[in-house]
Amino acid sequence: MLVFRKPLEGIERPQMPADVIIVGGGAAGMACALRLSQLIDAYNANNPDSQLSKENIYVLEKAREIGQHCLSGALLDPRSIRELIPDFEKEAPIEATVSKEAVYFLTVKSKLKFPVTPPPLRDHGNYVISLNRFVKWLGEKVEAAGITVFTGFAGSELLYGGAANGNRVMGVRTDDKGVDKHNEKKSNFEPGYDLKAKVIILAEGSRGSLTKQLILRFKLDADRNPQTYGQGVKELWEVPAGRIAPGEVIYTMGWPLTSREYGGAWIYGGKDNIVSLGFVTALEYADPRIDPQHVLQEFKKHPFVSALLKGGKMVRYGAKSMPYGGWWSLPSLGGDGWMIVGDSAGFLNSARLKGIHLAIKSGMLAAETAFEALKSGDSSAATLGQFQRNVESSWIKDELWKVRNFHQAFTHGLWPGLLHAGLQQFTGGRGIRNRYPSAPGYTHMKKLAELPADGGAEAPLLGPAKGDARLTFDKLTDLYHSGTKHEEDQPAHLVIQNTDVCNSRCIKEFGSPCQNFCPANVYEMVDDTTEPNGKRISLNPSNCVHCKACDIADPYQIITWVPPEGGGGPNYDGM
Amino acid sequence: MPDTILVVAEQREGKLNRVSWETVTAGQALASQTGWTLEAAVVGSGISGIASEVASRKAAKVYAVESPKLEPYTPDAFAFALKQFIESKQPKLVLMPHTYQVRDFVPKLATAMGRTVISDCVGYKKEGDKLVFTRQMFQGKLAADVSFGCEPPWFVTFQNGAFRGDKVETGAAAARVETVNVEIGDGVIRNRPQEVFKEAKQAVDLTQAEIIVSVGRGIKEQKNIELARQLAEALGGEIAASRPICDSGWLPMDRQIGSSGQTVAPKLYLALGISGAIQHIVGMKGARTIIAVNKDSEAPIFEIADYAVVGNLFDIVPPLIEEVRKAKATG
Repeated sequence: MLVFRKPLEGIERPQMPADVIIVGGGAAGMACALRLSQLIDAYNANNPDSQLSKENIYVLEKAREIGQHCLSGALLDPRSIRELIPDFEKEAPIEATVSKEAVYFLTVKSKLKFPVTPPPLRDHGNYVISLNRFVKWLGEKVEAAGITVFTGFAGSELLYGGAANGNRVMGVRTDDKGVDKHNEKKSNFEPGYDLKAKVIILAEGSRGSLTKQLILRFKLDADRNPQTYGQGVKELWEVPAGRIAPGEVIYTMGWPLTSREYGGAWIYGGKDNIVSLGFVTALEYADPRIDPQHVLQEFKKHPFVSALLKGGKMVRYGAKSMPYGGWWSLPSLGGDGWMIVGDSAGFLNSARLKGIHLAIKSGMLAAETAFEALKSGDSSAATLGQFQRNVESSWIKDELWKVRNFHQAFTHGLWPGLLHAGLQQFTGGRGIRNRYPSAPGYTHMKKLAELPADGGAEAPLLGPAKGDARLTFDKLTDLYHSGTKHEEDQPAHLVIQNTDVCNSRCIKEFGSPCQNFCPANVYEMVDDTTEPNGKRISLNPSNCVHCKACDIADPYQIITWVPPEGGGGPNYDGM
Repeated sequence: MPDTILVVAEQREGKLNRVSWETVTAGQALASQTGWTLEAAVVGSGISGIASEVASRKAAKVYAVESPKLEPYTPDAFAFALKQFIESKQPKLVLMPHTYQVRDFVPKLATAMGRTVISDCVGYKKEGDKLVFTRQMFQGKLAADVSFGCEPPWFVTFQNGAFRGDKVETGAAAARVETVNVEIGDGVIRNRPQEVFKEAKQAVDLTQAEIIVSVGRGIKEQKNIELARQLAEALGGEIAASRPICDSGWLPMDRQIGSSGQTVAPKLYLALGISGAIQHIVGMKGARTIIAVNKDSEAPIFEIADYAVVGNLFDIVPPLIEEVRKAKATG
């Protein structure tokens, strides 16, 4: 019997007042905290008689340590971090400066190099970084600036009340600790805190759980394009010397995906013969049997890639979703007591496959708005709505506007997509109309009855990868290298609204795709003779790498990802 | 009458809880800063010895709050006795160690007196005339300063280790011990203590086992665990399992082998129906001899097994049990 996590009811929770709470200590959240600190320091230096305090500004981070849940390729466009810390190169952990770049179109046996690197993928002046290390460094600066980061604490609920008919965001409730599998208190039970704050900034990353609650409650995505997502699966490899130069950047399109699926790979050379490679598969494919972790395994079998990795060793694994939708998919960004930044809002340039610089910039802009709120004492929509206008008059809009239709162009496959994307290049992003529509990714999923039983051209990507334990790996082996750990005795944090749908309908209609899109074997259909189809959904929540793919890709939209007990999750050292 | 600080030292079954010295140290420091008088109390039955032990340290007076009904400990009796005692002595500040026993009765005591407790404090500060106590929040990441808004007596409990028990000052002469007998009427005590027991420690230490029979998903159903148990018994070993089995509650968590369970290195490890995911292997690869039984000839467990048996464990295990029993019987 599955028991799902929810904040316990009828218990007294400690209350704590705060000025600003930033939920999520990733690139956006940390940049936001640091910018806010800079503004307050400057203000205090000029206003000896009315000092603003930093003491009541907090960052909540569900990972045990700062940066441990941060995963990206990653290439950093330095534009925003340079605005935040002008001489950041002197101290930031940078793996390499981009030295060489190439884009390939792969077929099963060969590769075609693009004669000219498409403009969005020109990366000179960018840096190869480990987002984990980068955020750790940023976090140290935030703490040194006097802002408290609560590691091991997740935001589990938003608290509403006050003005606007009780619809103002008043605070955040943190996770209950010490709750067992049956939602009962253990001897180490500690209730979550109710943090009441003037300003709540949601910086939870892709498909944030509080952000999702907020968007649903206030329909913040009304008249926007639905957000669409890609699922990035990454491995870090140590390879023999000389295989790839530090700073060498390779992108591929095509194989092993067919022209029906959207996605591609990256290969980045770091220092000390470390290679970051990964495959992003858009979570809008038709065949529910496609497994993004399997796609990465197939990709590595290409002669071009296997030659690069031969004799090397896979050292780390991870997976994370990323928002692809772009400008038209951004929800409302600020309201009564709240703002949304970074991947939670969808600040990502899918043509450039980059979002860190936009996350940082959006965090900085939100900090500027929060600062105005602290000075004026007004954190209603009248003040925080200004964040939206600041984004619209910043270079974030310039950059995203030019690619506003990029991802939507690929809705009907690779070839029409390239055509439209090329056209958009020459029309300032317009293409054939100002706004291309999009549909949520899961609506593209087809039922098994509509698909070839043998899988057709996608056959090599379907179902679990077997792995040869040298070049390719099965999911559990990969997962082991994510360093994922959770308190085992806690309720399941993958909240399934109705498991009858899994056991009776989904298994027949879609063949239980949760087993495929989840990169961590959290979902499993186990034998159960009492069920009509002989199988029953079972969860391994402690495997979860917090990627949110299930919340996004489930065709019935009955899975809600909520944070498990704070401190649990992957350990993305060096990722 | 001068203001007093009362430290309630803890005794259990006639023995002083050493953590009480930490609270006395705190009381002594507070007394010297405030100029208030420090007194102590021990609550129980037949506790004059403990009261004298406390009186060997620097304090103005030590009370032995006595009643036969205070032994064995019950929250009702302790709260009742202390309420009566505190009401008669009117101390300004009551300090106690933040022990399980105190946690059990002090909320009741404070509520009965219409007062509040600042619990689990790690320190205090004197800000002008005001006493401020420090409590940890967010698992120690943050400290909150809290002061009393109500009339005294003020109740404070201190966290274990907040003050140094070995720094407790000894007075020039032993403090005077005064016995205060309290009447605890019938009907006050509504709790009936049962026998004291210790929560069972981990029942099994698999790391000490020489032979382990371990089951995985291949065992299919909970009732089939019995088969593996019989084999373990026949071999004189322990039974263990991979994660899915313990996760289903078929065996307790303390018998789980692997990255989220125990790591073992027995002489013999018999893996029945275990596929051998790396998460399991890291917990048992140190075994001297590994025998694996699995239907799937490609199961990764066979890569580290010394003896690989490809087949259905339900065909293999029953005759194996028979053979082991026979071999043992003939010695």
